[in-house]
Amino acid sequence: MMMWQIIKNEWHFLARNRVLLGISFGFVGILFLTVYLGNLQTQEQAQRYQTAQTHLRQQWENIEEMNPHSAAHYGTYVFKPTCLLSGLDEGVNSITGNVLRVEGHVQNEIVHSEASQMQAISKFGKLKSALLLQYIIPLLLIFLAFQSIYGEKQGGRLKLLLLQGTHLTQILVAKTLSVCLYGIGLLGLTISVYVLLNLNSINTDILGRTALLFLSYSFYYFILSGLTVFFSARWENTNLALTSMLGIWIVWTIFLPNVLMSSVERWHPLPSREAFKTAMKEDRSKGLDGHNPADKRSKALEEKVLKEYGADSLAQLPINFDGIVMQEDEEYGNKVWDEHFGNLRKALAEQKQTYQLGGLINPFISLQNTSMGFAGNDNLHHQEFLVQVENYRRVFIKTLNDKHAYGGSRTGDWSWKAGNDFFRSVADFEYSPPVLSSVFSHYVFDIILLLFWGLLTAILLIFGTKKMSIL
Amino acid sequence: MIDIQGASKSFKGTKAIQNLTLQVTEGEILGLLGANGAGKSTTINMLLGFLAPDSGKVQINQMDCSTKAKEVRNFVGYIPENVNLYPYLSGTENLDYFCKLAGLNYPKTELQSFLSTCGLQTEAHHRKVSGYSKGMRQKVGIAIAYAKKAKVYLLDEPASGLDPLASNELSAMLKKLASEGATILMASHDIFRVREVCHRIGILKKGALVKELQSKEVSARELETLYLDFMKN
Repeated sequence: MMMWQIIKNEWHFLARNRVLLGISFGFVGILFLTVYLGNLQTQEQAQRYQTAQTHLRQQWENIEEMNPHSAAHYGTYVFKPTCLLSGLDEGVNSITGNVLRVEGHVQNEIVHSEASQMQAISKFGKLKSALLLQYIIPLLLIFLAFQSIYGEKQGGRLKLLLLQGTHLTQILVAKTLSVCLYGIGLLGLTISVYVLLNLNSINTDILGRTALLFLSYSFYYFILSGLTVFFSARWENTNLALTSMLGIWIVWTIFLPNVLMSSVERWHPLPSREAFKTAMKEDRSKGLDGHNPADKRSKALEEKVLKEYGADSLAQLPINFDGIVMQEDEEYGNKVWDEHFGNLRKALAEQKQTYQLGGLINPFISLQNTSMGFAGNDNLHHQEFLVQVENYRRVFIKTLNDKHAYGGSRTGDWSWKAGNDFFRSVADFEYSPPVLSSVFSHYVFDIILLLFWGLLTAILLIFGTKKMSIL
Repeated sequence: MIDIQGASKSFKGTKAIQNLTLQVTEGEILGLLGANGAGKSTTINMLLGFLAPDSGKVQINQMDCSTKAKEVRNFVGYIPENVNLYPYLSGTENLDYFCKLAGLNYPKTELQSFLSTCGLQTEAHHRKVSGYSKGMRQKVGIAIAYAKKAKVYLLDEPASGLDPLASNELSAMLKKLASEGATILMASHDIFRVREVCHRIGILKKGALVKELQSKEVSARELETLYLDFMKN
């Protein structure tokens, strides 16, 4: 009850201070505009992808006649559906892109020029909701809280409050909550507007993600508000409290994520694009680890197929051996890719785990992880997309190679063409984004760290101010 | 009601209070005179439970002020030199807020009645405190203690910076409170005001009570001479 009175009084201050009120309204306006534009961009992107996907499918289905192998090189493109929450946090999408080419022999790479920084993405330079939620609102909270206790102490008002029977801890916690609630209010407004704009597309998965996103930000706002109130109580002047918190903000949001990401890359390095391609090419021609080179594999396959069909030469085969060779080569290429991609995934997983540990010294890292993760736009979700595209590519190419091999042509006949019915029968790519229940476990550690920081803040507020001077 | 026995307090080796002994009974006003740094505020802060004495005992209503601070504060009102209220709230809202913190939920009419009793003009009740004079803020400060039904009032330089009219009003209010049974300790260096308001006067010098006398025993002029003598020696 007492705490509620203090919170109410703090909100009175906010409501009756014209400057703060003006800043708040201005900020809410910017926030709404950002949410609206972010949502518009997300919807337009989804629409563009849908149009392009439909167009590409139409092109594919309109192929009258074509050699299946030519069709494999003709290929197609697939688009990663935009997650509904992209408008709130677009995560790694800005650097990984959402379009992949599906073609015979050619797998999509994961090592992009910038994608090696997929754990930590700076939001600066783009007016997105995540920029406001992760960087600007925390700054507002710091500015609101840095004078909260010192201001009371300076005028002797803290004595009056304590004389009314209020406990110092109640004052500190109430001040923290009042500031934190301001941030949560802005967050709530942002999410509410976003939900209202997308009311028809909301499902339980999105609701769950939104709720967890909301919780993560709320924890972070509590941590920042609590620490600022703590410094306001402990330091003997407001400048020191403000400087301390601005320092923490800079270290947490700008300095540490970059330093940590550079260190993580050094500890768990990813191969360069060139090295990755060269190793793939080498393993494909010389065989994995130097065993079973391409020419030996080819000879063994020829003997096996001839034996299977009881033929003496390729010309006697009732099928097109070229299709079998291409599929065999494709499957060997897949093996090579699995090996190399597996190594990459392992390195990326190690990078992610080590980076997550950074949350021990910097809760902002945990917030960024959960924000991108629950928005469905982090490294994990992108890798899932890559895997699904690769799986589709394999089925797609196998269908074309099988048609080439068993569709009625003979070995060496590259002019043979499959008809339109066949091309229509080839299934289109359908992406199933990971559901929250399947990815939640990857973010539990981040949530635990945010809780740990919240607890640490509460301990500091309660026990770290015991010796605080009231006078 | 107020009982200080042989209390001493030092800050980093500097003695702020030395073997201080004094009592203030119900309905009595004791004025503590002393220069800056004489130990007046330290005495009040010990009574409020914000400072614990190094030795001796400091009690209000037979309760130790440092170990039973929360209980003691229930019936103590404190009026500092500058009553720092919330400038964005009106006098009534400030009083309401402080009362609610103390668990007291008064109707608006009663809050206004407290303010009027403490001398705040009716037309000022709903004005924002940011426009109040120092005297008006002090009246709200007294109203906060009054609404709490404080039995002990501790005032730290209450008349400092007040205009003569406001100062007179404050004196009248304190006398009224004492006549209703309140125990009042007022720290000040305003010799004339202390003599006029208080029943007894104590002179503090370097943390020690060097003289205690009844107000009616001395004229203002005599008190001034006495006080200055103590300050010089």
